[in-house]
Amino acid sequence: MAKKNVTLNVNGQRRQVTVELDEPLLWVLRDDLGLTGTKFGCGTGVCGACSVLVDGVARRSCRIPVAYVAAGQEIVTIEGLGTLGNLSLLQQAFVDHTAFCCGYCTPGMIITATALLAENPNPTREEIVEAMDYNLCRCGSYLNIIEAIESVINT
Amino acid sequence: MSMSRRQFLASMGGTGLLYAIRFVPEASAQTGSFEPILADDEVPICIAEYIDIDYRDWIAFGPDGKISVFTGRTELGQGLKTVITAFVTQGLEISQEDLTVVQGDTDLCPDDGPTYGSAATRQVGWGFWLACQKIRSNLVKRAARWLGMPIGELEFKSGGVGRKGEKGKLIDAYELGRGETVILNIDTTTSSTGRQYVDHEIANVNAETIVTGTLKYVGDLHMPGMLYAGWLCQPYHRNLTKIQSVDMREAKALPGVKTVNVVRGRVAVIGERYSDVVKSLDLVKATWSTPNRPKELRVEEEARAGAQLILLKEEAGDVDAGLASSDLVVSETYTTQYISHAQIETDIALAMPEDTNGKVTVWVSSQWPYRARELIAETLKMPLSNVRTIAMPVGGAFGGKIGNPVTREAALLASVSGTPIKLIYSRKDQFKLRSHFKAACIIDVTTGVTADGRMVARKVDSFQDEACGTIFTYDIPNVLVRAYEAKWPFGRAVSRGTSFVQTCFATESHVDMVAHKLSMDPLEFRRRNVVFPSFVNLIDTCAQMIGYDNPQLGVDEGLGMAIVHHGGCELGALAAIVAVDRVSGQIKVKQICAAFDIGTVINRRTATVGLRGGIAWGIGFALSEEVKLDGHSTNTEYLSEYRIPRFSDMPPIEITFLDNHNPDGTPRGCGEMPVVPVSGAIANAVYNAVGVRLYSTPFTPERVKKALGSA
Repeated sequence: MAKKNVTLNVNGQRRQVTVELDEPLLWVLRDDLGLTGTKFGCGTGVCGACSVLVDGVARRSCRIPVAYVAAGQEIVTIEGLGTLGNLSLLQQAFVDHTAFCCGYCTPGMIITATALLAENPNPTREEIVEAMDYNLCRCGSYLNIIEAIESVINT
Repeated sequence: MSMSRRQFLASMGGTGLLYAIRFVPEASAQTGSFEPILADDEVPICIAEYIDIDYRDWIAFGPDGKISVFTGRTELGQGLKTVITAFVTQGLEISQEDLTVVQGDTDLCPDDGPTYGSAATRQVGWGFWLACQKIRSNLVKRAARWLGMPIGELEFKSGGVGRKGEKGKLIDAYELGRGETVILNIDTTTSSTGRQYVDHEIANVNAETIVTGTLKYVGDLHMPGMLYAGWLCQPYHRNLTKIQSVDMREAKALPGVKTVNVVRGRVAVIGERYSDVVKSLDLVKATWSTPNRPKELRVEEEARAGAQLILLKEEAGDVDAGLASSDLVVSETYTTQYISHAQIETDIALAMPEDTNGKVTVWVSSQWPYRARELIAETLKMPLSNVRTIAMPVGGAFGGKIGNPVTREAALLASVSGTPIKLIYSRKDQFKLRSHFKAACIIDVTTGVTADGRMVARKVDSFQDEACGTIFTYDIPNVLVRAYEAKWPFGRAVSRGTSFVQTCFATESHVDMVAHKLSMDPLEFRRRNVVFPSFVNLIDTCAQMIGYDNPQLGVDEGLGMAIVHHGGCELGALAAIVAVDRVSGQIKVKQICAAFDIGTVINRRTATVGLRGGIAWGIGFALSEEVKLDGHSTNTEYLSEYRIPRFSDMPPIEITFLDNHNPDGTPRGCGEMPVVPVSGAIANAVYNAVGVRLYSTPFTPERVKKALGSA
């Protein structure tokens, strides 16, 4: 497949890249745009480490060919949620609740939880578990993640 | 590119006094044969660029109150950098901004040995705290001599020494021996400062970079001209097959692919993008030799037949006589499965080819960058000094990244191609190419007891393939424990909790069964036989937490407990409440309570998340994790086929910290111990719920239904 020019809307900016149209969004973000907060974990959409927001919905960027998100869809990565010294509420809650050990799955967790809270600002614990259940954390920091998410409800 | 420690310190603004910390080995410390402590000797031992490998970690004073510390131990998520930061900033009264922590860079740091065994915090972290205490007194003595003042008039102040009762410093630490090196001998096992240090809430120093996605792991590094690489995955266990023929034409023709070549008997693809490598590998046509052994795998028979070597033998009293004199003898056999580390960050390394000085630099995700350096030097046939490995934060290790071959493979491919190479293992590679697992285990356990519930004799024969530890949990006069090395055809590994996990599942299930046969309460049976009195407190605390005396249990719900003694000094009691669905065979863990004694808790936040994570590992081991194998191949290829615990598998977990067991209050590890008792506690809870004993992990719905059906 030949490379094509593709324009993406990432973190509020228009970014042009030259890639094959079936290139997974994950690798475009990481290698072409330098947004390495989105992680490679399994490549098959199972672990959720590569989660990004596409028009507000948490999606697995390892399974999205870049052509599918090149029509102006709003892509938001972990870097688009907050920056050092200017964390989002949820990012701050993850810090405050030590909601990680190694931190590798954390960006995907925060993206998925951000999408949950945008859709349902007041989820029950069961709803949190249901929404987060397909994001894997091998360190097993799940309870701290739930506590972090619960802490920003109604704030 | 290459930089010595002294150059590094110069780049930080200058070279002041350098303290080299030598940790006295625990074994010799316990026998009292360690060398005299030199810390308070003011004579500098050497002024040296290079110090003997025995001298482990360094603390260096620079100008302007800046302090750098160096350790070979790496950041795995256990929070070592946080612990070191907390100890050194408090120990030397400096702010976090003035401290630089350098971990796992072989050109700058000492070889501390591998980062494993729940040991980094209690050895290195605690060691830095003790070192800080000695450094304070050493600086005061040096200042007294320098200033010609009595020691009694001086005291340590942030970054230097000043007059007692007055503000400000008379002299900077930096000035008190520029370019000198002082050796400190630190015995981390004993300490009069035991419970002095308590800080219950320290934020992880990497927290903000983690939550913003800006903490750099190996995969996040990029070098100019860098290419991606991958290996062709073999269809059989790596040790059982050889490649016979290969057609690489289609694979080579793909755009973006630079080379497809056989490198040391294996097919490697190098391409511009990771996707180019993945697509190209799919197009390689290869034939492989069929393994010369039966495809059918009879784990138990092979383990027993293959047992060739006694890995470990412990004997006390006369076990046969003890069993003969017992009122009741119970013999059982337990088996366990193959477990994958399944780190979310797969094996990865980024290697530079030789620079103009013949030096190779490799960024690694490793528990032991020095071992990686050895592997690379051996592979490239070059001296160790020509290899520099730099450990980046690790996205999950759990014992699986100690001598990981990806480091040497990346270096090899960089050397062959002459370009920087990032080598990433796919998830399938992780299962099939790396193919190393916590091995299955068969454990025969026999216990003899008196009618009033005293353990008289115990015999344990364990057929396994993992570095093993026995469990001194009960006070039994006649003991024979033998661990045999079972020769499996595929890779073996240590993983979180090592074989304590398998052994404790067997022995703690067994203890409950003996108690039931005695018609005795399992907790009371344990209380009567535990080897340390502090166990009784742990059992009582845990029982109270979970409401043992008046449990709130529904239909087919049950409660079970197991106790653990790990690593010499870490003790715990863990209780679980489970619900068993008789129709589906599903086990749901509804609640876990645990009382752990890990000495002084250095960082309650890190300890809690680590302990909960260890319990999650125990739940996965008990209920769902299993690598599928046959005699030829690993048949688990995707993460979807290997169920690690998820949010919905996690019960509420309550943890109480007790600190009774170690009289000196030194900190102990907590990464592995919590994994150990979980499967036994769950098995005992299942027995309590529905009256069937589960002898094999994982307790899959099929196994549970089968056990219920035959009960």
